[in-house]
Amino acid sequence: MNWPYVISNAIVLACIYGTLAIGISITWSSLGLLNLAYGFIFALSGYGAWLTSQYVVAVTPDALRGAMILAGGVATGALGGVLVCALAFIPVHDKPNFTIRGMIATLAISLMGTQLLLWWFGPRSKSLPEIFGASKRSLFGLVLTADKIGNVIVSIAMLLIVLTWMRSSRRGLEIRAMMMNPHAASIVGIGVRRTSFYVMAITGGLAGLSAVLLSQTYYIQPFNGLTPMIKGVSIALCGGLGSVPGAVIAALLLGFNEAMTSVALGGQYVLMTQFLLIILIILVRPRGIAGLLDKAREA
Amino acid sequence: MAEAREVLSVQGLSAGWGPLRVIHDLDLIVKAGERIGLVGLNGHGKTTLFYAIAGLTGWQRGSILLNGRQIGRTRSQGPGRYTHQIVRQGLALIPQGDEIFHGLTVEEHLDSGAFTPRAWKERATRKRRIYDVFPPLRKLSNTPVGRLSGGERRMVSIGRGLMAEASLFLVDEPSLGLAPKIGKGVLDALMSIELSDSAMVIAEQNIALLEGKVDRVIGMHVGKLKGGASAALMLNSNRDL
Repeated sequence: MNWPYVISNAIVLACIYGTLAIGISITWSSLGLLNLAYGFIFALSGYGAWLTSQYVVAVTPDALRGAMILAGGVATGALGGVLVCALAFIPVHDKPNFTIRGMIATLAISLMGTQLLLWWFGPRSKSLPEIFGASKRSLFGLVLTADKIGNVIVSIAMLLIVLTWMRSSRRGLEIRAMMMNPHAASIVGIGVRRTSFYVMAITGGLAGLSAVLLSQTYYIQPFNGLTPMIKGVSIALCGGLGSVPGAVIAALLLGFNEAMTSVALGGQYVLMTQFLLIILIILVRPRGIAGLLDKAREA
Repeated sequence: MAEAREVLSVQGLSAGWGPLRVIHDLDLIVKAGERIGLVGLNGHGKTTLFYAIAGLTGWQRGSILLNGRQIGRTRSQGPGRYTHQIVRQGLALIPQGDEIFHGLTVEEHLDSGAFTPRAWKERATRKRRIYDVFPPLRKLSNTPVGRLSGGERRMVSIGRGLMAEASLFLVDEPSLGLAPKIGKGVLDALMSIELSDSAMVIAEQNIALLEGKVDRVIGMHVGKLKGGASAALMLNSNRDL
């Protein structure tokens, strides 16, 4: 088996899925909303990036084109997140049975949204230009394509920016406080509604980023958000909902599993081994990997 | 003494959770500079009264004036929807038990209490003041709150409330669950805080802890106040409870 190849693939996948999973994880733990429209935001930002590549990129200088497409995807994702927040979170968040209602509302947005995308853009899949160029680089006898390197660097950089912002800024403090204890957060005067818009914009932006990154390998289709969302949710679950380091570790594990399976058994078995692994992890640690890392006791 | 400003004026407040009515048509006036003890047994509505003032109950009706501005609303749902606005108008609620953010450090925790823009700008000096009131916190400032002991957590929780630029401090059972000595220390710290233009209401089950330290003591019984509930009845009422 070509180990360096497997590992490099695993890391690329882990970066993309980790970005998604962290978005889902943050939304769940701070707002209590399981965002099933995440796949729709993902697909939407793919189209956003595609529109950028069709109409905006022609007037930007060559060096900035890749960055422009990325920015287009991230911005569309953030916009989609705000839209979902306004439609599915704000009206129901303080009503009884919010968890179920929120799930159904986001699911509805997801179904309607993907049909709208299908209606507007047609069933033909779109593809983005190579935003990281087509160069190749050889490292330890391993050929790394530019999009692999670019994927890893961009997603890690984006995550670092988001996490640093959450560590150091005041809004980040509000979001973290809400993730740990929403009731106490409202007591100290953190407005749930306003904070929810920040949260959804950021997590939507993360979905947009991973949509653009994944579109370097796959085509953009109205329904292509579903599988990444399922993987994102299960990784977030594995990592322990609400924990960023847990999600990163789970993403690495599952990314490695996916790369290994597709080399050893074949691509069609990926989902099977994926969920077997997830079930195993949840059996052993029902609340995910995060508990192992947590230094503080809860409540 | 000149007539003090009314910080809080509650009239005809009823509040509860779902079908349960905990507060029954309650009136209460708190004046600037006052330190009030609110005494009552478990389940008689002390916490619910505080939550109703903060807009956190399941439902409520009646008038609540904070610094002359109406913060009471007739609500049937949406606990906490307006709490952040009420906090911005000068309310600091120091909740009962462990309403803390277990993963934040002590310092971040204190920061999170400084909600208004002015308090946020002054947060360094405010934190120093809190550390003076609760010296043990100073060397714990970078520890996650989830690793502290019960007494230390209570100090953090109270410190967080005191960080706010508030005119009304509602302190809910500061000695609950603490060893008597530590509970007494926490209460002494609360008494040492300069109120000037603000006011403080301390809910407590142990009346002996409050004896002689507060300006007046109000009893609470099945959702109603007994004793010096309004300024008109203001006298040393802790005897005739």
